[in-house]
Amino acid sequence: MEINKLERYWLIAVGITLGAFTAATILAVTVFGIRLPAPVERIDPQRLEQTIFANPGVRKIADNRYEAVIVARSWAFDAGPEAGNPAVLRFPRGSQVTFYVTSKDVMHGFQIEKHTLNLELVPGQIARATANFNRPGTYHIICNHYCGAGHQVMYGVIIVE
Amino acid sequence: MASVTYPQTFETPATPTTLKLAKREQAMIGAHIIAALVALMFGIFMGPFQTFHRSPTFVQYFPTIPVFTFYYQAVTAHGVMNALFFTTFFIIGFCYFVVERSLQRPIKSTPMGWAAFASMALGLVFMLFVLLTMPQQSAVLYTFYPPMIAPALFYIGLVLLALGSWLASANIFLTYRDWKREHPNERVPLAVFAILVNFIVWCVATIGVALEIVFMLLPASLGILRVTDPQLARTLFWFFGHPLVYFWLLPAYVSWYTMLPRQAGGKLFSEPLARVAFIMFVVFSVPVGVHHQFSDPGISASSKGIQTLLTLIVSIPSFMTAFNVGAALENAARNRGAKTLFDWPFKQKWNDPVVAAQLSGMLLFIAGGFSGLINASAQLNATIHNTSWVPAHFHQTLGGGVTLTYIGILYWLLPAIRGRALFSKKAALAQVFTWLIGMTLFGLAMGEAGLQGVPRRALTSQAPYLTPAGAFWMDVTAVSGVILLISSILLYVNIIGTLFFSRQPMPAADVPIETVSGDRTSPLWFERWGIWLGILGILLLISYGPVIAEVLDFQEGWNILRFMPTSNAPMP
Ligand code: HEM
Ligand SMILES: [Cu+2]
Ligand SMILES: [Cu+2]
Repeated sequence: MEINKLERYWLIAVGITLGAFTAATILAVTVFGIRLPAPVERIDPQRLEQTIFANPGVRKIADNRYEAVIVARSWAFDAGPEAGNPAVLRFPRGSQVTFYVTSKDVMHGFQIEKHTLNLELVPGQIARATANFNRPGTYHIICNHYCGAGHQVMYGVIIVE
Repeated sequence: MASVTYPQTFETPATPTTLKLAKREQAMIGAHIIAALVALMFGIFMGPFQTFHRSPTFVQYFPTIPVFTFYYQAVTAHGVMNALFFTTFFIIGFCYFVVERSLQRPIKSTPMGWAAFASMALGLVFMLFVLLTMPQQSAVLYTFYPPMIAPALFYIGLVLLALGSWLASANIFLTYRDWKREHPNERVPLAVFAILVNFIVWCVATIGVALEIVFMLLPASLGILRVTDPQLARTLFWFFGHPLVYFWLLPAYVSWYTMLPRQAGGKLFSEPLARVAFIMFVVFSVPVGVHHQFSDPGISASSKGIQTLLTLIVSIPSFMTAFNVGAALENAARNRGAKTLFDWPFKQKWNDPVVAAQLSGMLLFIAGGFSGLINASAQLNATIHNTSWVPAHFHQTLGGGVTLTYIGILYWLLPAIRGRALFSKKAALAQVFTWLIGMTLFGLAMGEAGLQGVPRRALTSQAPYLTPAGAFWMDVTAVSGVILLISSILLYVNIIGTLFFSRQPMPAADVPIETVSGDRTSPLWFERWGIWLGILGILLLISYGPVIAEVLDFQEGWNILRFMPTSNAPMP
């Protein structure tokens, strides 16, 4: 089989482009440490009271470092009684927050507006991710995974002061 | 069974005659195409109404939108009917046509063909029944993730569709086997080669979703199983859900590679390289489904990384297609007198609806290809995952490239089946260009909204978090919905007109079909399918072995069936 010269050049160009993409991806993961969600632990969504999700809420763990434990359910993000409904979370500017989120019923989504934090909440799995909040402002936490008739009213608020 | 001889009237374009289909060919293919059009009708008209539902301004002036007042019911009907039923029926009907005509023989078994059709048609009836009568419970979308569980009829409809499609695949494989026995040293025509690839991909991919439905969802829906595992279900779904897009795309490629060059007045640049591209689809299109699960908590980053690399590889055959088909179109334009470097795109037959539809589809598909590369890059994915960007992307690819190509095919296939000319060429052209404009605007507006954080599949007009920018883009989407509504009406005017009111006989040269392989250079071992399936098997082990192990969670002892199914939650 014969490959035409022009087509060969085209294939080489495609190969180089994709090679560059591949290298970028490998670098992103190995050198720059970009993290995708990975398994944390499996839990029984019917017995959240036996897990860290027994008392949802925000805890300060060090200077500028917080841990937020949140339970998603149809149709609210429960971050403890203090946060209210819809949940309002406040962080000082420059803080780093690690979110631990799970669902107690169907699948939900956890997307922070204008941010790269975007998690699928799968019942039985803990979703964990860390976010930095450097710019002051109000950001919505949006449920971006269809979860029933009230899906569109499921949200929370993050206020960076 | 008596074999049918095919009148090759289409080989003599000098005297305009009609393409005569054998009676049983006409009935079988016609039934599939009509069923496809029924499914599409239920799906397509939901689209504009969804854009209206999502637009705050529209809802303010028209608080009740008559059709499908429950938004999530409309999205479910739209996705299930368009993406699953319309495509499957259309593809099978079209592929029967190509296989019968190219190999010059009827498909292996007519009774089996009708059994397959009956199964799929019953599936369509069940699905429509459950979607129309149980708006809340059946609104689980075309991805139907547990633990949200739909009525059993929903899954039975899907099972019947899959069963029928497997029978149809078997019929096509057996027809090919018979042909090959009689022509051991010939290369199968390119169109059939591609169709074999398509059905191989389909049969492998549907194993995933069949396991999910038969062992998890249907028993849960019937109350036999009290537990389910959402992470496993999602993985099985996307094992199917990604190759599904190639199942939609490859028949469009069949048209671009083997019919469009002739319709446009040129010839294909390289047939052997087309075969290489299709073989790459067999091997690489299935093992990449996890790129839809970058945000899932239950799958490790390394598994996601492996599948990202494979995803990049599967873009190579599409790049090859762009070159090959692009060169064919340039050749066509040069034949028509194009001289300069950049005038050939304009010297195409833009006034022929069959060609214009496919070219417009390609334009949208190019945009879709680029937004797809963005989706595939894990890091960028996090900014757009589950936002309106995603429907923007697949309306450029599926709703644009694929659907417009199918419509282009329909504009000659429907007349061929009916034996009558297209009802109105003008209406067809208006339909094509309104679709192109509408989908371009839709893609822009939904894409822009996605970047603003507007989620997909949400009744955004009622969402308390919608920002002014998000609301603006949703209103723009509704404008594109109006344009697309006009386009959809034109489409159905032409379909009904061609079926019932057209009186002119069908012009001859309009049916492009290759009956022999023009290619004598590609190696015969390209058709040793065992090799490709073997490589695919190995790749699946590498790419899905670790994923399934993680999802099943071996450390905890195969304890996969632990979680209660929850049905659709009630209104707040
Ligand atoms: C008349 C033109 C069309 C319009 C105005 C339209 C509009 C829409 C809208 C507004 C959505 C919902 C987006 C969301 O809420 O996230 C949607 C979803 C969808 N559309 Fe279309 N669409 C059209 C044609 C098509 C066609 C022809 C196909 C496929 C053959 C298609 C396949 C889909 C699919 C698969 C979904 C996703 C459903 C889901 O997420 O569950 N659409 N479309
Ligand atoms: Cu939710
Ligand atoms: Cu939701």
